[in-house]
Amino acid sequence: MLFRVIDKNEVPSLVRGFAAHYEVVGPVERNGGFAFDEVGSDPSRLRVDYDTTLLPPKKYLFPPKAELFTYDTVNNEVKDIDIPVVPRVLFGLHSCDINAINRLDAVFMASDFPDPYYRAQREATMIVGIDCTPNDHCFCNLWGTDEVTQGYDLFLHDLGDRYLVSILSVTAAEILAVATSARPASPKDSIDFQEKARAFKNSFSSGPAVYELPILMDAFYNDGLWDELGDRCLSCTACSMVCPTCYCFNMVDKLDAGGRSGARLRLWDSCCSPSFALVAGGHNFRPTAASRVRNRFYHKFLGYLSKYGNTLCTGCGRCERACKAHISPRVVIQGLQHKAVQSDAAAQGEGGRS
Amino acid sequence: MAGKKVFGLNQINPASHALEHKEAAKVAVFGLASDFGCQVQMTNIERELLDVLGMFELVYWQLVSSAPLPEDFDIAIIEGAVCTQEHVETLQWIRERAKVVIAIGACAVTGGIPGLARGNVDDFAKRVYGDVPASCGSMASPRPVSDIIAVDFTVPGCPIEPLELVAVLQRALMGGNPEAGGRSMCGDCRLNEDVCFFERGRICLGLVTRAGCGAPCIKLGYPCNGCRGLAASANLDSARDIVAGYGLDVADFDARLQIFNKAGQDSSRS
Ligand code: SF4
Ligand code: SF4
Repeated sequence: MLFRVIDKNEVPSLVRGFAAHYEVVGPVERNGGFAFDEVGSDPSRLRVDYDTTLLPPKKYLFPPKAELFTYDTVNNEVKDIDIPVVPRVLFGLHSCDINAINRLDAVFMASDFPDPYYRAQREATMIVGIDCTPNDHCFCNLWGTDEVTQGYDLFLHDLGDRYLVSILSVTAAEILAVATSARPASPKDSIDFQEKARAFKNSFSSGPAVYELPILMDAFYNDGLWDELGDRCLSCTACSMVCPTCYCFNMVDKLDAGGRSGARLRLWDSCCSPSFALVAGGHNFRPTAASRVRNRFYHKFLGYLSKYGNTLCTGCGRCERACKAHISPRVVIQGLQHKAVQSDAAAQGEGGRS
Repeated sequence: MAGKKVFGLNQINPASHALEHKEAAKVAVFGLASDFGCQVQMTNIERELLDVLGMFELVYWQLVSSAPLPEDFDIAIIEGAVCTQEHVETLQWIRERAKVVIAIGACAVTGGIPGLARGNVDDFAKRVYGDVPASCGSMASPRPVSDIIAVDFTVPGCPIEPLELVAVLQRALMGGNPEAGGRSMCGDCRLNEDVCFFERGRICLGLVTRAGCGAPCIKLGYPCNGCRGLAASANLDSARDIVAGYGLDVADFDARLQIFNKAGQDSSRS
């Protein structure tokens, strides 16, 4: 790992430096919020001061709708398609979203069955991270995903008038060196960084502690909490659509208008969708909203954790904002902890009586 | 969790194996009470229309041809709400002949706009006509097609998205089940990176409306008016709490929901 310092006004020239070789995508204003979009052609659209985006940068690695292959129904032939790859820089990602991509990498790249589509685009993608200012919905601090130590090429730490740049890749280092007047970090830069980092850690609203979460998930599997949440759930799937770590998909065949050829599509899916666990024969393994909401959080807090060692949530807060029914990781954590305290009190009460 | 809304049983389509023959399937298009808007929509896919027509034999469609009503057809596409006794009899006649029935458009699927007269059709008729002419037939309270006969596939919406009908026709022709859905709309708005109307202080019926259209109205700046009918999983109690939570008028929300949901629901809806 290398460290350099650049002035803040050098960001546009850094973007242009990348844009000479790559498509550059970064946060821009959209519909009164922020969205990731192409910015290389016009770096002035880049809004490095954004809080969060409507959709996460996942859409550039794992598109909402991807054509996997096409086929001919007349001759009954499958044709492999070339995997479309766009050499791209995702510019201005926050720690939560880089951590989320690391979670996806574990599934799509490092698993027993690597996904060729994801892998091809991921290998052609560079990531430039940047410091953020948490809003009320952010709770990355609960998971430790307010910091990121791998998965990016450059990370720009905000020091007021300049950025301390952490460098993890040679290619990005070379572009940084050519596009900016990057200089070595001085002791003063490091001291300023420490102060900034401390202030950042203190800027989060306090939240529930999460260390016993997998145990609580296990203990309260049959708890009424899930019915309460299920009674509220609209089965709208908004939570999964905005989530940077959700990776479930559906496979759909789409025929052309005359039915003579078609394409197999991969579409984002959601375990909160009523048809998600519907199988051939008409049986639905999770027919109620309560069973679906429970599944979503079991996978995030326990299932993924058991397999990959992390929770499948980075506290980005997008689902907390998207869910009109106020169902969110923090609500679940608080609900479970409340249950734990209640049942503890009940147990003590029983002990006292006997 | 017993007793909660359960989704997913009875998804097997008995019609799905009905068309395993070699000749082109015969398709007939029927209109009940409607403004023919969905039928016109079907002609609005100029680019695809010839390809689509190549998949079957079109034997009856009054909007585009004067060919007389045949006795024999495989697939019936029905637009419009059931508003007269004659409609009821037509539907029974169709069901006896068709292997597959496809209801298209809000009127046929939920009763739609005609369905607003459900319960007091005589009042409405008097308001519109004064003296109700004999040519109106014997009027009946407006209902969706599925209230009268079994419906195998539905294409909801006001108007329909014609390519959605094409996809449904392909399923019918090739022996597929109706697409499983059940979810409401909000996920589609998030996919479009649109900001929620509730965050802008306005009521939107997407909370409970059957998804699948891709939320084009919201993209154009109009809140969802529920033209696809309630989602199979629609959670009205929760939606009302949400409306109230935003300080908006629950009675207004309920009144808007009536526009496309007063007459009933598509019992086969997904
Ligand atoms: S579960 Fe919610 S807060 Fe956690 S990563 Fe997904 S969208 Fe963000
Ligand atoms: S948890 Fe919330 S966002 Fe997710 S499906 Fe249910 S209502 Fe929609």
